[in-house]
Amino acid sequence: MLQNLCQKMFRRSLWVYHANSGGCNGCDIEVLNVLTPYYDVERFGIKLVASPRHADVMLCQGPAMRSTAQALRRAYEAMPSPKLVFAVGSCAGGGGLWYDTYSVLGPVETVIPVHYYIPGCPPRPEAILYGVALALGLVDKQVAATRIGHAAFPVPRYHPEDLRPEGGLAIYQRQEKI
Amino acid sequence: MKPSEILTPIKQRYGTAIQRIDRLDDRRLVLHVDAGALKSICRFLFRDLDARYIAGIGADDRPYSGRFMVAHNFAFDRDGLLASVLAMLPADAPEVDSIAGEVPAASWSEREFHDLVGIVPRNHPNPKRLVLPDGWPDRVHPLRKERPWNDRPDGYDEDRPFAFDPAPPGCVVVPLGPFHPTLDEPAHFRLYVDGEIVRGCEYRGFMVHRGIEKLAESVLTYNDIPMAAERICGICGCVHNVAYAQAVEQAASIPVPPRAEYIRTIMLEIERLHSHLLWVGLAGHILGYDTLFMHCFRIREPVMWIAEKISGNRKTYALCLIGGVRWDITPELHDELDQVLNRLEAQWRPLVSALLEDRNLRRRAAGIGVADRALIKEQGLIGPVARAAGIDIDCRRDHPYAAYDRVDFDVILAQDPDVWGRISVRAREVFESIRIIRQCLVKLPAGLLQAPIADELPIGRIGMSSVEAPRGESHHWLITGENHRPRRWRVRAPTYQNLQGIPAMIRDQRLADMTITLGSIDPCFSCTDRLETVDVRTGAVRVCPPEELRDRLRQRWNEPTTP
Ligand code: SF4
Repeated sequence: MLQNLCQKMFRRSLWVYHANSGGCNGCDIEVLNVLTPYYDVERFGIKLVASPRHADVMLCQGPAMRSTAQALRRAYEAMPSPKLVFAVGSCAGGGGLWYDTYSVLGPVETVIPVHYYIPGCPPRPEAILYGVALALGLVDKQVAATRIGHAAFPVPRYHPEDLRPEGGLAIYQRQEKI
Repeated sequence: MKPSEILTPIKQRYGTAIQRIDRLDDRRLVLHVDAGALKSICRFLFRDLDARYIAGIGADDRPYSGRFMVAHNFAFDRDGLLASVLAMLPADAPEVDSIAGEVPAASWSEREFHDLVGIVPRNHPNPKRLVLPDGWPDRVHPLRKERPWNDRPDGYDEDRPFAFDPAPPGCVVVPLGPFHPTLDEPAHFRLYVDGEIVRGCEYRGFMVHRGIEKLAESVLTYNDIPMAAERICGICGCVHNVAYAQAVEQAASIPVPPRAEYIRTIMLEIERLHSHLLWVGLAGHILGYDTLFMHCFRIREPVMWIAEKISGNRKTYALCLIGGVRWDITPELHDELDQVLNRLEAQWRPLVSALLEDRNLRRRAAGIGVADRALIKEQGLIGPVARAAGIDIDCRRDHPYAAYDRVDFDVILAQDPDVWGRISVRAREVFESIRIIRQCLVKLPAGLLQAPIADELPIGRIGMSSVEAPRGESHHWLITGENHRPRRWRVRAPTYQNLQGIPAMIRDQRLADMTITLGSIDPCFSCTDRLETVDVRTGAVRVCPPEELRDRLRQRWNEPTTP
């Protein structure tokens, strides 16, 4: 559905605005790389623009931070509709390694709507190109969606030392952490 | 000079104020001193012994010693010595005399530990918030041990504005940022502009503060942290990765196998190659020389490919574990890397000679963003900024680590303390990196990649390590701790010091030179920045399109002379 809409709404050149809301700039340099001779995104009519007011698409890097949330929201609001938002990299898509620290709000979707996710840390320039081309309907999707099931018992993502074996099961014992 | 020779005058002068001196090894000292004497000792080191200021650290040590801790780190570059001056503060009154008046380079470090740990630097000249978001409640200090890493404190107020200084009379305020669409972190500069001329600026950054140090102290374990460390910065990530691993190894006295040391050196230099090529390209882009930008990226790309072949990723190499490395240089990679270097050198050489003889570029970049020797000393500026001014410092030679003491290379210097000098230094350093990698490939010894570590790492030891990143020295300081993680880990990236020099570097320069001055220290920047002009008298906001800024910048090409 979204893809059809995209094909209808964004038939011609896409103008892209690039916002780093708090990433490590690994993703930034790969986005930049997409513009340069080897990948040359301009052959698809895609162009980086400086102001959100000129843009059709926003590429977000980095998690949503407390300190930039407002600016990100303003940039999103400044873009004319119809607009698309791509979350580039694992920070933007899922919050990254620091998704729950005190200064991070989480993935960018906690602040603005996101339409496409390009995973990777950082994603390769090819992956970024592919993601954008996919959204535009220039290429077909090559992967099928799967549901990732949860493990049967809660495995703590951190603090493996909190696990206690009991009758063949591992019990997660939440300790008070300083 | 030996550590003892530096210690003698300090001991003579301060006697009993020095409680204890730990010699971690021949090149690392920790001085435990009385908090009351901290300021005076720091001044003595900085002024009389001419040490370079590295960083200040605040730590919450209450669970272990019942007190707070502050440390100031200094480097004696000529003697290859790093020293940490450490004082303990009472738990009920964590206050210490600010040294920023005597050692201006310490200003940010002190503001940082005020924010994060709640240690008050008494009589700080500019005691404003530095790191935490504007809306963060005043009395909550995230690095205190009782706060969790995923703190969501009450009283967070997103709409609270930052209290900027009032603009000087007659000046217009030009905010720059926070979004930099082409590179790097968001940051906000508030420029005070009188006509075309910048009279001053205030910086409000740290918008990318993600709480990595807190994560390391409460969530991750020793061998997770290298992967988090390299995500501090996407461009010089490997530097942080290695610096952290070395700090732990030094604290726990873990010997690293020689093959691993050589591989670390190779990867660090590969990273320097890609970063220098990227930066020279971007500097060209900012100055309106897009041909250079495209050429640099073309030449750079094979470096990214070979990095991917070695480590599996174009960036974020995930290289180090404590005591070694994870990737090997196989014979095939060895040959391929050799070819990449040959091609790189063949393509870079003509470009550099064209670049360094380009009169237009020289006229545009010379005399811009000047950082003279005095500024470099006062603010502790490092890396290419210092070397462009003829100051001969380079951690690879002064504080050797990995295999740098076994390879031969020159420290590239220039005598132009401006943007031009920095371009010239970084463009020429590429050849030294190529030279270093070639020597490493020849000398690469056989052997283990990873030192066997059987025991738990010792607790409560201090480690410090300085690694020369493409932009300057990255410094890591840590104390080992319980539960397989450090108690405190402090990272000081090169931009941390270099940015503090920016207000002086842009003063009385044209607005159009702001982006390249900022760019020249490589915090990364953008000529496509969003720029708003606020008329202070009417409060009217005009959004100045970035194109306009760039056009203004490029118009300067055509002007006959720089006034
Ligand atoms: S996804 Fe990875 S490379 Fe991208 S900003 Fe986050 S940490 Fe950096």
